[in-house]
Amino acid sequence: MKRGSDAGRGALAPLLAAGALGLALYALLFASPYAIRLLTLAGIDALLVIGYQLIFGHAGALSLAQGAFFGLGAYVTGILGSAAGLGFLVTFPLSLLLPAALAALVAVPTLRLQSHYFALATLGIGQVLLLGARNWDAVTGGANGLAGVPGVIVLGIAVPAGLPLLALIWAMVALGGALARHVVRGPLELAFLLLRESPLGAAAIGLDGGRLRLLAFVASASYAGAAGALGAHALRVVSPDVLGFPVMVTCLAMTVIGGRLRVAGAVLGALLLVSIPEWTRFLEGAYLLAYGLALLAIIILMPEGVIGVLERAGAVSRSERPLPPVRSRPPPQPAKAACSECRLDIRGLAKRYGGVEALAGVDLALKSGEILGLIGPNGSGKTTLVNLVTGVDAADAGAILLDGAAIAGLPAHGIARRGIARSFQAGALSPSMSVLDTVALARQAAERRLTLGRALVAGHGRRAFEAARGEAMHLLESMKIGDIADRRCGELAAGLRRRVEIARALALRPRFLLLDEPAAGLVTEERRRVADDLAALASEGLGLLVVEHDMPFLMPLAHRIVCLDRGRVIASGTPAEIARDPRVVAAYLGTAAPAAG
Amino acid sequence: MLALQLLVNAVALGAAYALVALGFVLVLNATGAVNFAQGDMVMAGGYAAVVLAGSLPVPGLVLLPLVLLLTAAFGVVFSLIAYFPLRARPPAAVFISTIATGIILQNGANLLFGAEPRAAPALLGGGILRLGAFVLPRQSLAIIAVAAVLGLAQHWLLRRTQFGRALRATAQDREMARAVGVRVDRMIAASFALATTLAGAAGFLLANQFFVTPTSGSDLILKAYIAVTIGGWGSLAGAVLGAMLIALFEVGVSAVLSYEAAMAALYAVLLALLWLRPQGLIGEAARARA
Repeated sequence: MKRGSDAGRGALAPLLAAGALGLALYALLFASPYAIRLLTLAGIDALLVIGYQLIFGHAGALSLAQGAFFGLGAYVTGILGSAAGLGFLVTFPLSLLLPAALAALVAVPTLRLQSHYFALATLGIGQVLLLGARNWDAVTGGANGLAGVPGVIVLGIAVPAGLPLLALIWAMVALGGALARHVVRGPLELAFLLLRESPLGAAAIGLDGGRLRLLAFVASASYAGAAGALGAHALRVVSPDVLGFPVMVTCLAMTVIGGRLRVAGAVLGALLLVSIPEWTRFLEGAYLLAYGLALLAIIILMPEGVIGVLERAGAVSRSERPLPPVRSRPPPQPAKAACSECRLDIRGLAKRYGGVEALAGVDLALKSGEILGLIGPNGSGKTTLVNLVTGVDAADAGAILLDGAAIAGLPAHGIARRGIARSFQAGALSPSMSVLDTVALARQAAERRLTLGRALVAGHGRRAFEAARGEAMHLLESMKIGDIADRRCGELAAGLRRRVEIARALALRPRFLLLDEPAAGLVTEERRRVADDLAALASEGLGLLVVEHDMPFLMPLAHRIVCLDRGRVIASGTPAEIARDPRVVAAYLGTAAPAAG
Repeated sequence: MLALQLLVNAVALGAAYALVALGFVLVLNATGAVNFAQGDMVMAGGYAAVVLAGSLPVPGLVLLPLVLLLTAAFGVVFSLIAYFPLRARPPAAVFISTIATGIILQNGANLLFGAEPRAAPALLGGGILRLGAFVLPRQSLAIIAVAAVLGLAQHWLLRRTQFGRALRATAQDREMARAVGVRVDRMIAASFALATTLAGAAGFLLANQFFVTPTSGSDLILKAYIAVTIGGWGSLAGAVLGAMLIALFEVGVSAVLSYEAAMAALYAVLLALLWLRPQGLIGEAARARA
């Protein structure tokens, strides 16, 4: 569908442009003052929703604070504009900054919360602000609010209400929409997709999910603040209503109805929801009832919102054209010479889950160019060990040293950036992302091309991503899976998925690669290919830790094998030594094991 | 003396909140979805009692089973509209569909009954009960009694019956429950029915002292949400405890300062709690999102 939705998006552009032009002509030539007022409000809502798409759509966090940030922006403009008499050039930036600052402040304790706690915590922010606004009469005017908010006055020139204000607000929408689209596209859009669909996978390629969510939250708050400020200018009053939960509900509904990810969806959602009550006005008292029914119908019938339906129609009407082929290109030579003498040392690593001792003091060492097999019966602590080394879980005790530097306690993305890559037993790919994008995103992340500064200056357009896609294609071809580059990860059989994961890990150019059961579920032919790939990688200087049950796979491949049982190392040595070791045989066959040291 | 009366009021309020929160947790456990219309179900229960009382001149205690039956049926319909079409979607979709249902209920009630507050009949007649030196409102005592009976009945249902076992199995692991022959869809619909029944009972009980208006559910859902968070997301006992704590806090702070101050303080405490103990007060083994 990736291809389809891209085609749909392209086909839709002229239609959307024509719609915008038609609406502009209507506003200029035919619209009544009431219609102009509605369009003004729709513009304000569109700006609010464009911001909300960043945190709710892209970052996938159900924030219920967008209405609060809107209200805060309105109050900042109201208080500074009416009481302090400051002009637009002062109040507007402050109306953006204060909500952003509040977002940054509350993000520290709340963003790490799970989704429902995050939703509640953000809801609480709005309630506290609302109660403050109602009761701090001296500043906020209490329940009556503030009247006499000035219009927009820039350098002594007042923007009159009506068409000029409408034009200003929609210019802001265009600017805000273009900025959001400029920043969140290409690789950054993909990074958010991976973060939503597989947070573990995102951390594994070195993406700092917390930071991405924080940026989205702060940015969404400034959009809300801007919308609130413009709302105060348009209505000329600010009352506690701007902080009420209905503002948040409307924003959420607009986002879901228009579409969560596309700027055009935000605009459509805002226009629709401002208009629906007008169309159902003939129902008189029942028009809000009809509004609720429409909302329910749209959420059930249009999972991706109105824009999703339009895009799909656009994609169908236009025969599916494949994207231009990606030109494969070899990756640039790494700046530092391939590591030939790196070491990964694990000392006394221990971890408990409740009463279960998953690891009880394990020592391991891995060198560049070495393939270390890690075996042991189910529950012996193999995956726990991989999780601790890669920062997915925190160790209770012990040290993990990368070339002598302690890395235990670093977050997963930090460890990935230091050159320890991994694959997951259950897989950690984004099902709806194409294979090529999956690997290209890792290339992009590895080269630190995913920074906000770069996004702001250069955007994340196709050109910025071209190099990474070419290098990803090269990598896929070298692993003989170039033919699946266009497929979505979710469509692939288990064997292919596992090889995509390995390709993604390699795209990071790691010093060490930890593979959790790379041969599980593969047919003989695939297993042989994976083994060949791994042997070739080791000969190029990569250090490999391979967790595996499949002894015929591991025996010819591994240089050394370590056997775990109940969280302890019970044997280590060459594959031949391990195969003869009575303790290993006992652990696997379940006969009474000799007392482990 | 005053302190005891306040305490009885607080416990009565907490008991009503607990019914709402229990229903919230039941749906949460069965589906993983947040039912934001749970507060509006309370409102619906309140109006159901008002309407029934208008046509049947019987004591409140007789009306109660009728209200429970009506709201149970309503819960099944609710699940068919707002949950089952969206079950394969991300949880936010159900969150929004329940918000939409709430909008429909509120505006439907506004159309039918208007915005002015209505009162449901008292359960055992109004007035006060004198116990020696103590003066206690009858309805508060009735609320506590009914909530306790319903709470215990629910506990018995979940713990001691085959139906309850199937319900808990569904909540724990849907796929496994299906594999061992539990009719998962029916269990989910039953969870919704139970949830709205508890909400309906709360609505009936609250609509006497506190009246019912089309928007009276909005406040309750926030309190239920907070109660469930404090009590550890997904814990039934925790939800009851959380509801009691909120009511004590609300009544206590309101008595000294004001209701508004009580609410502001409640949210402030909640934010602090989430900061210090992201797993809730009682503690679900919730992991922060890494």
